[in-house]
Amino acid sequence: MIKSIDILNYLSENNFELSTGVPCSYFKELLIELDKSADIQYIASTREDEAVGIACGYFLGKKNCFLIMQNSGLATIGDALTSLAQLYEIPLLIFVSYRGLEPDKTFPEHVIMGNVTEAVLDAYGIPNWNMKGENWRKILDKALERMNEDSSVVCILVEKGVII
Amino acid sequence: MRGEEVIASLKEFISDDTLIVSSNGNVSRQAYNFLPQPQVYLRGSMGLPMSIGLGLALAQPEKQVLVITGDGNFLMGLSSMTTIGNYKPPNLKIIILDNAIYATTGGQETVSSTVDYLKLLEGFGIQHYGSLNSIKSPSKLLEAFEILLTSKQTAVLHINVEEDIENLENIPWQPKEIKNKFMEKI
Ligand SMILES: Cc1ncc(C[n+]2csc(CCOP(=O)(O)OP(=O)(O)O)c2C)c(N)n1
Ligand SMILES: [Mg+2]
Repeated sequence: MIKSIDILNYLSENNFELSTGVPCSYFKELLIELDKSADIQYIASTREDEAVGIACGYFLGKKNCFLIMQNSGLATIGDALTSLAQLYEIPLLIFVSYRGLEPDKTFPEHVIMGNVTEAVLDAYGIPNWNMKGENWRKILDKALERMNEDSSVVCILVEKGVII
Repeated sequence: MRGEEVIASLKEFISDDTLIVSSNGNVSRQAYNFLPQPQVYLRGSMGLPMSIGLGLALAQPEKQVLVITGDGNFLMGLSSMTTIGNYKPPNLKIIILDNAIYATTGGQETVSSTVDYLKLLEGFGIQHYGSLNSIKSPSKLLEAFEILLTSKQTAVLHINVEEDIENLENIPWQPKEIKNKFMEKI
């Protein structure tokens, strides 16, 4: 389990000043902490593709924004990724909740997307890491290094109960 | 007036400190051809110019951000206007060039003529907004630009323009080049 405040401190130390997205219950605690944060502002987007637009505009203005969304949102952002972020080589860090796994047995609405989540990311050519356990800082280090080196979109998958 | 004439007459209002985001298709080609370069010329991401403008305005609060969008793009990204109405960055200005068609793809009708833009913009909580028919009142255009671009609040100007399906040449810059040139000027 990773404390929300620790993640936000890590992101703030890595020069993220803005965040945006659409909530998932897996990010409830993180969003409460973001609301209190003096270092990172959160913009409540109405759609995930809008959030990609905001983050790309923020980057073009020379600042860094990370994204928060449910894996269902991956289905919404296809064009924003391929014809904006990836096309213009804009680095983006996206936290995606990994719904549709075992704990979501009683949420059929997540199961189909859960089954294809990693295949979707692979198809877009988006490097992705499942962040859990003690070495989460190393995973984020690696993701940010890749993002900055390749000016690319990278994705962190977050399972239930991982961020508290 | 045609959309490209409206864009061309914006020229005198654009300074080095104006950052323009132009929607995909004809609008960005017209911005490329008739306004000072470089700017953000969108090749795709239909519906997102307002969101990109919001992000840019938040990152660069000292600069004026001007989004120029077609009606098709505006309607596709409609929900992002609620976010803009909520956060209201004072340095964000939006011009909607409403030809009531998807000119870039051959002039198919959009449903834009159904919309009452003044009511819509008011409903979004936009503080400063106006609508102008450039076909009926072309002489009012420059004054409307002046009001929009000197506004101290988030402001939106809707402009009815003539249908015009003539396409300009594609923008020769590669997307990565657009990004690099734009970021160098900031
Ligand atoms: C998601 C998506 N759907 C469709 C298109 C095809 N397309 C490119 S430009 C355009 C029309 C845009 O209309 P508008 O914003 O009104 O600008 P206009 O062409 O009238 O200048 C369309 C439909 C696209 N690029 N992306
Ligand atoms: Mg149009």
